[in-house]
Amino acid sequence: MSDAVLSVSDSVGAEPNWQRLHPATLALAIVKLGPRSLNFLPAVAALGFTGNWVWIVPAILAFILISLAFAWMNWLRFRFLVGDDEVVIESGIFSRQHRTIPFDRIQDVGIEQGLVARALGIAKVGFETGAGGAGKENEANLDAISLDAAQALRTTIRAHRGGAAAPVAAAAPSAGDAPAAAPIAEHEDRLLFEMGPRRLLVAGLFNFSLAALAVVGAAMQFFDDLLPFEFNMFDPGDWIDLAGQYGLDQWVIAHRWIAGLGALVSLLLIGFVSGIATMAFANWGFRLMREPRSLRRTRGLTTRTDVAIPVRRVQAAILVTGWFRHRFGWHQLRLQSLASDGGKEKDHEVVPFARLDEIDPVLGEIAIPRPGEEVDWQHSHRIVALGGFVGAVGVTLGGLAAVSFGQPLGWLGPVAGVLIGLGSLFGARFHLWVDLGDRVAIRRGLWKPKTTLLPHASVQSADLKTDFILRPLGLATLVFGVPGGSSLASHEIPAIPRTVAEELRTRILAAKTRG
Amino acid sequence: MTDTEAAAHPTDPFDPHALNTSEGLNPVDLRYVHVLRVTTALNLVPIAIAASVFDALLIRHLEGPYGLITALAWLIAILMIVSFPARRMQRWGYRIGEGQLRVARGWMFRTDTIVPFVRVQHIDVGQGPVERWFGLSHLIVHTSGTHNSTVTLPGLPADLAAAMRETIRRHIQTDFA
Repeated sequence: MSDAVLSVSDSVGAEPNWQRLHPATLALAIVKLGPRSLNFLPAVAALGFTGNWVWIVPAILAFILISLAFAWMNWLRFRFLVGDDEVVIESGIFSRQHRTIPFDRIQDVGIEQGLVARALGIAKVGFETGAGGAGKENEANLDAISLDAAQALRTTIRAHRGGAAAPVAAAAPSAGDAPAAAPIAEHEDRLLFEMGPRRLLVAGLFNFSLAALAVVGAAMQFFDDLLPFEFNMFDPGDWIDLAGQYGLDQWVIAHRWIAGLGALVSLLLIGFVSGIATMAFANWGFRLMREPRSLRRTRGLTTRTDVAIPVRRVQAAILVTGWFRHRFGWHQLRLQSLASDGGKEKDHEVVPFARLDEIDPVLGEIAIPRPGEEVDWQHSHRIVALGGFVGAVGVTLGGLAAVSFGQPLGWLGPVAGVLIGLGSLFGARFHLWVDLGDRVAIRRGLWKPKTTLLPHASVQSADLKTDFILRPLGLATLVFGVPGGSSLASHEIPAIPRTVAEELRTRILAAKTRG
Repeated sequence: MTDTEAAAHPTDPFDPHALNTSEGLNPVDLRYVHVLRVTTALNLVPIAIAASVFDALLIRHLEGPYGLITALAWLIAILMIVSFPARRMQRWGYRIGEGQLRVARGWMFRTDTIVPFVRVQHIDVGQGPVERWFGLSHLIVHTSGTHNSTVTLPGLPADLAAAMRETIRRHIQTDFA
């Protein structure tokens, strides 16, 4: 083992350009040990069950030591080189991996800082190569180097890209700018959108969610015995007890609604507080910048992320709102891009909460403007309600079956069935689409209206689907193959006349490649 | 409106080639029936045998209705092997048009896909053991779309598949930013 270490340090001495990760990465490794030690719990449990209690502490110590040794070895055996036009990364303790990433292939450089990393002044650097469908193991990361080095590295790579690709960037049409101003604008960073504390508060209020309630409720059930005070705020009985301590119990029992009100108020409070908290944690200090080739988003309270979305890689724009926030004119803008966004989020949220006149400039930057008010939205056929009807019939039959077995709650089934049926019939009116020449707009949803702006040029393939229900009605569903996004939610225009669908498909597929 | 009505009743589902001709598609090779039949048999015969064994060992032991499961399993298997492949084959159709590949499949749920050649990322021509036996290949076209990332067209004579690959290959453009 010491030989290996020596040989590395030798070669480092021979080639002074090779760099190591920041030593503070080791401190980060200790922090990461916390969650990882969960893997070790079964072993501890096994030791406990077999009665070998003495061994538990040595085993845990050995686990920690071995993990740290591996982290240290990993750190020793990881080195990278920033060359004139490429980044070289060598990693691996036993099986060595040598990776070369030419600057030309790096779409942009993402910088991410967790809470501990911020305290240590280090950052994780991710190279976005735009390799389609790349999994976790295909990502190239430097985890982690000092924040200054990370920013310097990004500047180097961007300067290289800017120099090599300037003619292309200048030639690309840049909607929203006057043609004369475009080349200048291409070379300076502009702020497109930011969220102050006030906006975060408003956004958080609309983010009202009872999802957190379930968590809190479950936790209170679970920790009921552990809490120093006996109080369940969801239990009106507890509110009566509380009142009793102040001699109010008789009055409260006479006015039971007070107890109900107390439970309701705390319910609402938790919903609002959790909504504001999640919004603030995710979007604190939100800034969206226009850089020469990309949109750059920084956000986050504890974990600060810095993501660049190359403009040419944007495939579609998605405007989402809710039936309630829609009344106040609030919308969210997401961009579907080839580049992935750190795994769990498939689309890039570039404007979390804003009015349409704030969103329009962003859409202008990516040259996917919103349809005007006067466009002639086409409706999908009402048959799209059929799925809801099938569900409604299922619920109704299930409920009736329960009733026939003597369960009076089963009557909820038919009631829910009627509601679902009416809802889907009403919701079917909200499947709209319109072709805007170089892009289609698809709108759907009643509770969560979602408008997708899909440039023709993003469409890689198109399916025309019919089935035994649509065919007799002369209808077809158009499904588009678009890069990026979730494989579960493909873009489609459901149930439109077959001839219209065929003509639209021909027009869309004739478009040139985007970019 | 006449168009819509023509589309409303496009074809007689029992007429072998009506579906493809009405949509201007070429049928796949007739030998694809045999491929489908053999692969279906390879899948279903073991299942039918397993059902028979289960029937003999368990249902007879329990003095249940012995023979019912066996008969049903073999009936379904024979129906799927003898009768269905011809129909499944007839519902595949393709067309190499001007700069695009069109592939249609299915009847109950019919999907008609068009991939422009310029959108093709790469192409595979594959041949499984059963296909090799009948001299057939399948063509797989990869696109960068998340939906339809692969489009498969089975039942092509091996030389036609190779020729189609060459045609498409000439059109592929690299799309690197």
